[in-house]
Amino acid sequence: MSNPQVELHIAGKGVILIELDAEKAPISTENFLHYVNKGHYDNTIFHRVIPGFMIQGGGFEPSMEQKHSDAAIQNEGNNGLKNNKYTLAMARTQAPHSATAQFFINTADNEFLNHTAPSLQGWGYAVFGHVVSGTEIVDAIEEVKTGRNGFHDDVPKEPIIIEKAVAL
Amino acid sequence: MTATVLPFQVLQAPENWRTVDFISDLHLQEQDTATFKVWQTYMHNTTADAVFILGDLFEVWVGDDAVAHHVFLQHCASVLKLCAATKHVAFMRGNRDFLVGTFFLHECRVQDLQDPTLLNFASHKILLSHGDAGCLADTSYQEFRHMVRQVNWQSTFLAKPLSERESIARQLRMQSESLKKDPQTLYADVDDGWTAQWLAQTEATCLVHGHTHRPADHHLDLGLSLSKTRHVLSDWDAAAPRPRAEVLRWHSTGKHERVSLLAQ
Repeated sequence: MSNPQVELHIAGKGVILIELDAEKAPISTENFLHYVNKGHYDNTIFHRVIPGFMIQGGGFEPSMEQKHSDAAIQNEGNNGLKNNKYTLAMARTQAPHSATAQFFINTADNEFLNHTAPSLQGWGYAVFGHVVSGTEIVDAIEEVKTGRNGFHDDVPKEPIIIEKAVAL
Repeated sequence: MTATVLPFQVLQAPENWRTVDFISDLHLQEQDTATFKVWQTYMHNTTADAVFILGDLFEVWVGDDAVAHHVFLQHCASVLKLCAATKHVAFMRGNRDFLVGTFFLHECRVQDLQDPTLLNFASHKILLSHGDAGCLADTSYQEFRHMVRQVNWQSTFLAKPLSERESIARQLRMQSESLKKDPQTLYADVDDGWTAQWLAQTEATCLVHGHTHRPADHHLDLGLSLSKTRHVLSDWDAAAPRPRAEVLRWHSTGKHERVSLLAQ
C-alpha cells in the first residue's frame, strides 16, 4: 500500500504536499490523519517560525486562540527517521510522549532533534513524513517577519493560515 | 566533535581559541537583580573565546515552557543569545537546572554539554563537571539525584501544569533552606576517588567543577609523581554581605587565573 499523502492549503501561497511514513511512524501517521479528517487543522496557523530551524503549526487559530486537542501519543522518535530539511515531525512539550496535534517542518538538518537515547534530552522529535512538493512555500514561510505575541515568541506578524488540510 | 561510544563527551576546541572562561552556580533568580546585572555585563564584555557555564546558572528550572511566562527568564535567554552571537557559549546542567531542555539551548545558540565533558583546549585536557555526581558521601542526595534523572520521573513532572511544578520547586527549596540553617547539616565534597577515576579514564590533567561553593585548587596526590588538580569554581551572589562573582579564566598557554568581577 502506498503511503498516505496530505495537502496543506496555505492562504495566498499555494499547496504543500506531504507524504506520511505509515510504516516507520504508524502512530504519528494515524494521529495526524485523525486530526486532518476531523478538520482540526482547517483555519489554523503556523504560529512559530524560526529561520534556519523550523516552522511549527497546527495548534492555534489566526487569533492565536489555542485549539483543543486529543490525547497525547507515544513518541516515535526512535524510528530511525532523521529531522532533516523538509521533513515533518511532531511538536511536543519537553515531556517525551506529549505530542498531540501540533507539528513542524524542519527547515534545516536538525541533528540535535534526533533520537539518541531514551532520556529526557535524548528522546528526540518523531519524524513521520516529508514535503513532496511546495518546498518553495516552506521557504517563503520561513522568511516572514515575526515577533512576540502574548506568551509566544517568533509569531508571524501576518498570520500564515492553513485554510484546509486534505488527505488524498 | 562528540564521541558517542565514550561515557563522556569530548569537545575539541578550535585552534584559534586563546582564552576560555568557566563559571557556575550563579543561581540566577528574579529577586536577585544584582547578580543578574553582573552576569549580563560580564557576558557582554568578556574577552574570552568561549564561556563554559558548568551548571546552576538558574536557581530553579521547572521546564522550558516557563520562559514564555517569566520576563526574567526571557532576559536571561536574551543575554545567552547575544553572547552566543559572537563567542562560543556552552552549558552543562546542574542540580538546580537539570531540566533545561535542548530546545531552549538551541534557540539561544548555546551548546548542550553532557556531564562530564572532556575539553581539549590547546595542549590541555580539562575535564568539566557540575560536581554533584561526585559528592558520593551525601547518599541521600545521590538517591534523590538518581530519581530525578530518570526519564519517567522527568516526564511525569513535566506533564504537570506549570503552576504545580513551580509550587513543588518552592517546597523543595524551602526544605533545602531549612537544612542549610541546621548546624547538623554537613555538606559532602567531591570525592577524591571519584575524581581520580574520571581523570584516569579521560586522561585529563585536571577537573573543573562547581556545585560545592567552596572555591579552591586542590592538588591530588595520585602517586607515580602525577600532578593533577581539582579546580572548584566559586558561586555568585552579588547581593550577599560578602559579595562574590568569579570567573576561572584559562589561557591557551596553560596559565589560568581567578578573576573577580566585583570592585574590590
